[in-house]
Amino acid sequence: MTMFDARTDRRLVQSRARSDRYVQVRLVAPPSLQSEARPRVNVAFVLDRSGSMGGGKIELAKEALRQALGQLAERDRFSVVFYDDKIDVVVESTAVTSEARRNALARIAMVQARGTTNLAEGWLTGADQAARHDGEQFVNRCLLLTDGLANRGITDVAELERHAGELRKRGISTTTFGVGADFDEHLLRRMANAGGGNFYFIEDPAQIPDFLTSELGEALEVVARDVRVVVEAPGDLIIESLTPVIGRERTDGVWTFGLGDLASRQEVDCVLRLNFPRGVDGHEVIARFRVEDREDAFPLDEEELGWTYADHRSNHAQERDVEVDRRVAAVFASLARTEAMLLNRSGDYDAARKKLLGVARRIRSYANGDRELERIAAALEHEAQEAIHPLMEYERKNVVFEANSMLRSRDWRGRARRRHE
Amino acid sequence: MPRMTELTLTELAEKANVTRRTIRYYIQQGLLPSPEATGRGAHYDQGYVDRLRLIKKLKDAHLPLAEIRARIGRLSDEEIRNLLNAPAKPSPTSAREYIRSVLEEGAVPSMSVSMPDALAFRETTVSEPPVQSRWQRYTLDPDIEIHVRRPLSRHKNEILSELLDAVRELLEKGERS
Repeated sequence: MTMFDARTDRRLVQSRARSDRYVQVRLVAPPSLQSEARPRVNVAFVLDRSGSMGGGKIELAKEALRQALGQLAERDRFSVVFYDDKIDVVVESTAVTSEARRNALARIAMVQARGTTNLAEGWLTGADQAARHDGEQFVNRCLLLTDGLANRGITDVAELERHAGELRKRGISTTTFGVGADFDEHLLRRMANAGGGNFYFIEDPAQIPDFLTSELGEALEVVARDVRVVVEAPGDLIIESLTPVIGRERTDGVWTFGLGDLASRQEVDCVLRLNFPRGVDGHEVIARFRVEDREDAFPLDEEELGWTYADHRSNHAQERDVEVDRRVAAVFASLARTEAMLLNRSGDYDAARKKLLGVARRIRSYANGDRELERIAAALEHEAQEAIHPLMEYERKNVVFEANSMLRSRDWRGRARRRHE
Repeated sequence: MPRMTELTLTELAEKANVTRRTIRYYIQQGLLPSPEATGRGAHYDQGYVDRLRLIKKLKDAHLPLAEIRARIGRLSDEEIRNLLNAPAKPSPTSAREYIRSVLEEGAVPSMSVSMPDALAFRETTVSEPPVQSRWQRYTLDPDIEIHVRRPLSRHKNEILSELLDAVRELLEKGERS
């Protein structure tokens, strides 16, 4: 089984102008071996208990916790934080012994919904609980579940996103769950992407236990931590990732893009955009790709890709790797949809429509009759017509959730894609 | 029983708790020096064990291999040992310290083990302005220049290309007549 490969959309670049070319790096994590003990998990559950969680939601959150505790083993650690405008550490970080489990269940049962929402402090308190006993051998993760906005404490989206990234650098990742219509999906998705975790939209509260246990199950199957795509390329190339990454860093001619932790047999596509300077006809540019991770779970080989400078006419006439074209188009479509939903939410309907139409137009310009590419463009054009009306909250949230899941190579329910034998 | 100064690749791998393949890769990438080869095959000394431990320590601090190579590639065995045994110096803030500073002071410490040219995470959306942009000048003629702000979209690059071709052609035609 090939564990990673790199492909590019086109092999020729413009001699007399800068060019953008795309690279799809596809990773498949190895299967966890039966003989190896699974990694230890250190998880902090942070649950919203603000007034709106009353009437069923909080009971479902508690039920989710009960089920999640059942998944953990004695070598794992957990803690539980409930927050409204007051933060309660209901269970301090502890190993998962039977006694700890019993005590936790008793305390959790007593929690009731109450006040307003200091999401930032609740989340950071949970992260702190996880950080008290984070160890090198652990997968340390903070799971944040909310049905509302951050309306007390730190509320700025960019700031919370930055903190999530800083915590990730220090070994604590953050996954977010948004329940119902009233939470801020852009806040939660950005915290999760920067935080090296996952974002889930739970439309129906009855699904809370299902989503929580699924995410925890994935953490229990991590085989490679801190996975990074590393690219060595000439100094005058500029490389960006179109798909969400945990930080882009550059040392000398080496670029590093963080992809977070991967579970057994998980498949991830990372799409990079390379911007080439002008050059001399016939000259070749080489970039080397490899994957690094803390466990050395990925093989240490390199894949090499080369591009050749040529004139405008040759560039125009060159062959394209249509698989890569399709992946790139799907990525641009998802990015456009996310932005269109943000614009629709703030009432800027015309800009939302233009955004979707603009990307559709670009895709059609290189579609060349390919059915899949035409289909993607047509879908965007259709959505552009819808976007000029104020959409319902649930609709917007679903679009953002699905788009984010696509960008993170997850399925429509936000679960990791796994390659089957 | 082999002397401490002479481990085979297998023994080294076992002692350092890495695979032989990893060791060979590190040698190829310049993180470990090539071993002394005698008639009986390559042998490795304690220095290799120390280096491998240091590499692991730096990897756990999230450094990429290229950065690790830059830091330790040319150090002597003694320098490596010193680094390994050095007390935890002003290390980057821990997660707990970071959280405390955010909740109590609102201050934001940055990691001191930062990689040069580190670019903070940013949302990648298609319409976002580029991280760095600069103006580039095309001199077509002593009296005619075109200024372009980079980076440009693909579409605009195509326009620019045709524009440059067209102007050059017109200028050449002018010269001939």
